[in-house]
Amino acid sequence: MAGMTVIVRTISRILFPFIFLFGIYIILHGHLTPGGGFPGGVIIAASVAMLILAYGLERVLKNNAFLRAEVLDTIGSLTIAAIGIMGLIFGSYFLQNTLPLGELGRLISGGNFLWLYVGVGIKVTAGILLILFAMLFATWGEKDDHGA
Amino acid sequence: MIPHAPILVIVLPLFTAFVMPLIGIIAERYHIKYLRELIAIGVMIVVLILAGTIAQEVWNGEVIVYELGGWSPPWGIVLAIDALSTQMALMIAGLGTLVMIYSASYMSRDSGLSYFYTLMLLVISGMMGIVLTGDFFNFYVFLEIMSISSYALVSFRRDALSIEAGIKYLIIGSLGTSFVLLSVVMLYGVVGTLNIADLGAKLATYGGTNVPSVLVLSLALFVTGVMIKVAMVPFHTWLPDAFTAAPTAISALLAGPAAVVGIYWVARLPYLPFGMPVGLILISLGLISMVVGVLMALMQRDFKRMLAYHVISQKGYMVLGIGLGTLGATLGTQGGLFHLLNHSTYKALLFMCAGAVLYQTKSQKFDELGGLGKNMPITALTFLIGALAISGIPPLNGFVSKYIIYLAGFQAGMPWITAIAVVVSGLTLASFMKAFSSVFLGQRPQHLQGTREAPKPMLFSMIVMALICVAIGLLPALGFNIIGPAAEAAKNTSSYISHVLGGT
Amino acid sequence: MIMGLNYIVAMLLIAAGIYCLLFKRNLLKLVIGLAVMTDGIHLFLISMGYRLGGIVPIFSSEVAPSLSEFAARAVDPLPQALVLTSIVINICVTALALSLCIYAYRHYGTLDTTKIRRLKE
Repeated sequence: MAGMTVIVRTISRILFPFIFLFGIYIILHGHLTPGGGFPGGVIIAASVAMLILAYGLERVLKNNAFLRAEVLDTIGSLTIAAIGIMGLIFGSYFLQNTLPLGELGRLISGGNFLWLYVGVGIKVTAGILLILFAMLFATWGEKDDHGA
Repeated sequence: MIPHAPILVIVLPLFTAFVMPLIGIIAERYHIKYLRELIAIGVMIVVLILAGTIAQEVWNGEVIVYELGGWSPPWGIVLAIDALSTQMALMIAGLGTLVMIYSASYMSRDSGLSYFYTLMLLVISGMMGIVLTGDFFNFYVFLEIMSISSYALVSFRRDALSIEAGIKYLIIGSLGTSFVLLSVVMLYGVVGTLNIADLGAKLATYGGTNVPSVLVLSLALFVTGVMIKVAMVPFHTWLPDAFTAAPTAISALLAGPAAVVGIYWVARLPYLPFGMPVGLILISLGLISMVVGVLMALMQRDFKRMLAYHVISQKGYMVLGIGLGTLGATLGTQGGLFHLLNHSTYKALLFMCAGAVLYQTKSQKFDELGGLGKNMPITALTFLIGALAISGIPPLNGFVSKYIIYLAGFQAGMPWITAIAVVVSGLTLASFMKAFSSVFLGQRPQHLQGTREAPKPMLFSMIVMALICVAIGLLPALGFNIIGPAAEAAKNTSSYISHVLGGT
Repeated sequence: MIMGLNYIVAMLLIAAGIYCLLFKRNLLKLVIGLAVMTDGIHLFLISMGYRLGGIVPIFSSEVAPSLSEFAARAVDPLPQALVLTSIVINICVTALALSLCIYAYRHYGTLDTTKIRRLKE
């Protein structure tokens, strides 16, 4: 899949860190402002999609993007699993709050809610990127499934 | 009971499913054969043991309430397990283990296996979530988990027929779950809570003559959604295509455990959370499905398609039984639930036999098969046991549950229902005799001369299921230990509500 | 009248979605119909949580002086969480449906549902 012109490539290279940062901001402030894991993850995945459109699929795949997305997927779900099981071990029920609840309105507050959103954000990013890669492979005729 | 067994039963397959691609990469790199299969089967056995420990405690009369995150109901999500949920959980765990062992050798010729086991474990986890949860929206989320994974599994092989079946299943199934979502949404708007026990308590005050029309619309949408999932006529059109085109291990999984969750909600429908009379709807849909299913099955020339139509017919029996149970025949609910137990065993067994034949001969049409009884004796014997069980011949388990449903027809004062049910049983027997004779007896075609028996893991699952069929047939008390408390618990809504809301 | 408008539009969206599912033949139009129908359900759910004269359920000390007054005046946030979950589920269903459409086009060469019929004989 070919990329686009020089103007598009330059602008998307400049814009990518800002969109990435915006996505991270939405994930981290999920317990204070609207958003949270799901929209933040979609925004980060959209920034990577912008890069794919601007630079072409082969260029992005040279950095092992597919393998990284699969590994990130597993890391995200293990984070969620770890927080849940932490609730089992220290508290008394699954997913119970075990970290200290700070004061209302500050960033590090709300117990394990923040870290849960981080795990969800990582997983959603990886998931949407994997969907995108799978559809692009199917349409542009590269390897169909990675036989893993 | 192991302290956190309820949540572990749901969470263990879920997180193993997420780790499965990583396990696949490790298995490829270090060349460990069968690593994925062994881990999947191991997880299923652990789930089965945990479900057994839950069952021990629930059968002492308690309703186990497990609050997620420590938030007490009705604000938090709870898992509420009573005897009905326990029966379903045991069936899902047991049948899931056997189907997983079967699919370990059935799918060994395919590629992309780590995704297959991911999806299988997700389906199992979704089903466990549906039967164990006590929160209505949580039920919708787990229903979607199970449905989406089964859409992907049906079209796993990505050839033309599988894709067509997958698209049909996806569109009709999504319509069904959207109806369920709309029903949950309307209930939330009227009552303001999502906890099933709380809904039951608050909706009980609305019963009687002046039911608000929003509640009736919500009930109608919910019944439609569940009936689409259970594939009652006239919503059944996705089922024959999906079961024919799916890999047979998936057909066995969908025919056994996935029917379990549908019938679980059909059994809960008349009592919790709505508490409104739906008996006549259930009886009429069940009757029509029974008759249409078996009539369409007689005409089929494809092995798995015929079995799929019989699934519709047998599910009609279960819905009929539960419907009769609401009209005052206490035997009806017991019959319906017992039939669910039996049907899952013999239907999965029949699909496994069809799969074994397909695996060895690569064809599933009656015209191309024949005379395989000498080549595959164990498959033929287990198929014969399954065929006799589904037709209701004593001393197998099908006879016990069908007899209870016949009696329930008399007890509810509608003997003509019993007559129709007996006729359908006879037609089922005819259809299976035709299938058995055309596949396993008669002339063997030239190209099937060298067919061998199926691989050992497949035979193991089939033999275990056949033994269960015979055991429950000879000693029905084994089944009644499970069914009796379940049928009681389905009706005993006040105990459920008081256990969940009144603190653990 | 202004309050009821939300629900009327939601029901119109659901009806339009079901109409698409029933009468359209192109596979992509079926997927669009499914998406429109679920959007109608989400609109219905969010407008069910509305409270007349309510404030946004984000707490900060300028908006409401105390927590109990905030809880009394805020719009119900539970349906919004439910809709968030449902939107994510529908992303997955749409992605799966579109992947199946890609494969169907590759195998059958057409997206017309009346021509994708090799299973019934």
